[in-house]
Amino acid sequence: MSRVFRLEPGRGARRAETGDGSALGAPRAQGVVVAGYLAPHPPHLIYADNPPQNEPSSTGGWEVLRWAYEDVRRRVRALAPDVLVVHAPHWITMVGHHVNCVPRPRGLSVEPIFPHLFRYHYDFRTDVELAEAMVRQFEASGLVTRAMREPEVRVDYATIGALHMVNPRWDIPVVSISANNNPYFYAEAELGQMEVLGRATREAIERTGRRAVLLASNSLSHLHFDRENELPEDMAREYPYSNDQYRADMRLLETVRRKPSSALRTAIPEHIAASEAETKSGSLTWLLAALDWPDVTGDVLGYGTIIGTGNAVVEWRPNRGADDG
Amino acid sequence: MGEFSGLVAAALVPGMPQLLADRPAPSWADLRVGVERVGQIFLDAGVDTVLMLSTQWFTVLGHQFQLDPNPRGQRVDENWYAYDYGRISYDLRIDTELTEHWADLTAARGMQARRTRYDGFPIDTGTGTCWALLDPGRRFRLALVSCNLYAEFAAIAALGETGVAAARRVGRRVGVVVVTGLSSGLIQRWIEPAEDAIAEPAQDSWNRRMLGALVHGEVEEALSLRDGFAREAGADSQFRALAFLHGAGVLAAPAELLGYGPIWGTGAAVLSWAAETPRSGRES
Repeated sequence: MSRVFRLEPGRGARRAETGDGSALGAPRAQGVVVAGYLAPHPPHLIYADNPPQNEPSSTGGWEVLRWAYEDVRRRVRALAPDVLVVHAPHWITMVGHHVNCVPRPRGLSVEPIFPHLFRYHYDFRTDVELAEAMVRQFEASGLVTRAMREPEVRVDYATIGALHMVNPRWDIPVVSISANNNPYFYAEAELGQMEVLGRATREAIERTGRRAVLLASNSLSHLHFDRENELPEDMAREYPYSNDQYRADMRLLETVRRKPSSALRTAIPEHIAASEAETKSGSLTWLLAALDWPDVTGDVLGYGTIIGTGNAVVEWRPNRGADDG
Repeated sequence: MGEFSGLVAAALVPGMPQLLADRPAPSWADLRVGVERVGQIFLDAGVDTVLMLSTQWFTVLGHQFQLDPNPRGQRVDENWYAYDYGRISYDLRIDTELTEHWADLTAARGMQARRTRYDGFPIDTGTGTCWALLDPGRRFRLALVSCNLYAEFAAIAALGETGVAAARRVGRRVGVVVVTGLSSGLIQRWIEPAEDAIAEPAQDSWNRRMLGALVHGEVEEALSLRDGFAREAGADSQFRALAFLHGAGVLAAPAELLGYGPIWGTGAAVLSWAAETPRSGRES
C-alpha cells in the first residue's frame, strides 16, 4: 500500500514505513496504545479558542477546560504518537460501525445545531493503512462494519472538536470511527459491543505496529439548558444544569481518580443512568476496552460545564514511563 | 394565490432515503408513490408554501428557522453513502417572508426562535428525500423549522400553530408536512431490499394503532397513544411530529393512508389530510 499520509520526521515516521500493512496477517513490530483521553467536543471550545479554521469569533470562555487541553497537547507531543484514533458520537451511523478511510478529508463542517459557533474548515490526513486494518479487524470480530471512502461525507463536530483541541496543528494522522446509535429514536450504544470494538481497535493497532493515542469524544452529564444566552460565552451564566448532575459527575471522577479503570465497568452505566451521560454513545467504554481496562487511575486534567453539561478532560496511561516518547 | 390563506392540506411522510432507491423494496416503492401523490394533492389544493418539520433536522437549544433563501447542494448521507440513494441533491426555495413572521410569532410566545442562514448549512436527509419526491418541479416554497429533541409536546405544538398563523398573516396557502418515521426497529445489518420487514410484530401493532386513530380522525385517541407508542415502539423522536400536526390544526380531520410498510425494519407511512374548508382570512 502506498503511503497516503505524511508524517513529521521522527520515530513515528519510521514506524509507519515499516511492516506489510496486513492487519490480519503476521504482526510486525507490535504497536501499542500509549494513552487514552476523555476528550469532550462541545463546539463552544473551538469557538472560544478562535482558531483560523473556524469562521465565527468569540471573546473566549471555558478557559479551565481549554487549559486542560493545552496540557493534553504537551503530553501528546511528548508521547510522539503515529496516529490519533477518535470515536465520536456525532458521526451517527444507524447501521454498523464505520471507519473513515478517506485519505485526506477536506471541507467545511457547518454544525446544524450550533451553526453560529461552528463553521470549521477541516483538512487532515487519515492513516489509511490503519483505518483499513481496523475495518478488517472489526469484521473479524463479528461487528457490522463499513469502510467509508466518500470524501463528500461531512466530518462531524465531535470528531473535529476532539482532534482540534488535542492537536490544533493537525500534523498527526488520524483514524476516525463512527458511533453506531441513533438519536432520532431511543437507541443507545450497546456497551458490550463497544467492548468488542475497543478490543478490535487495539488488535488492529498492535498488528500494524502503530504507536497510538486514543480519544473518546464524550461529555459527561448531558442534561443542559434549552435556551442560549445572548452572548454564548457569557460565563456568568455557565454552571451545572443541576446539583444532581454535578454530583453524578463527581462520583464518576472520584472513581477515575482513586480506583483502577476496571471499576469503571460498573461506574459508567451507573453514571449514564444518573445523568443521561453522553458516554451512552459508547466512546468511553470503547476507549477503556482498547486500553484493556488498565490497572491504573486516570488523571483528571480539568472539569467544567458547557451549557450546563459536565465535561472532563482525563488521561489514562497504561504503562506510564515505559511508553514515554 | 388562492382566495383563502392558511392551512389547506397536510401530510406525514417518511424521511429515510430508501424511497429514492433505483432498486426499491416493494414497500419503499409504495411509500414513494404516496409522497409523490401528496405533491399532486398539494398542487391541486393550490399550496403556495410547505410548512415543514423534519425529525432529522434535530436541535437541542431553542427552535431554528431556515432563512437561507436558496439552500442548494448535495447531501451525502453519513450512513447510507454507499447506496445510490445516499446522495441527495437539493435546490430549495425558502419562503423567507413567512419564515420571518413564523420566528417572530414563536418568539412572541416566549420561545427561543433562532434564525439560521449559513453557506454550507447541511440540509438533512429527511428534508432532502421528501422534497425530491414531493416537489421535483420546484413549484412550492418551503418554511423549515428544526425538531428540538428535548422540547415538550406543547412547545412543538406551538410551532405548528404559529406556523399556520404566520401563513395567514402573509397570505399563504400552506401544506403542513412532518417528515418522520414510526417505529424504530432498525435492522442492524446490511440487507437486500427484498429482505425488509417491520422488525417486531409488536411494533407493527403499535404503528397500526396509531395510524388507525389518525385515519379515523380520533385526535384524543392518537394523543393518548403517543406516550406508549414512543416508549414501546421507540417511535421516531418520541413522535413529536404528532404535536406539530396537532398545533397546526391538522388532526381534527380524518387522514387518508397512502402507504405503510417497512424501511430497513422501521415503520413508515404516508398520511394525507385535506382541510375540509380552507381557513379563510388574514390576520390583521
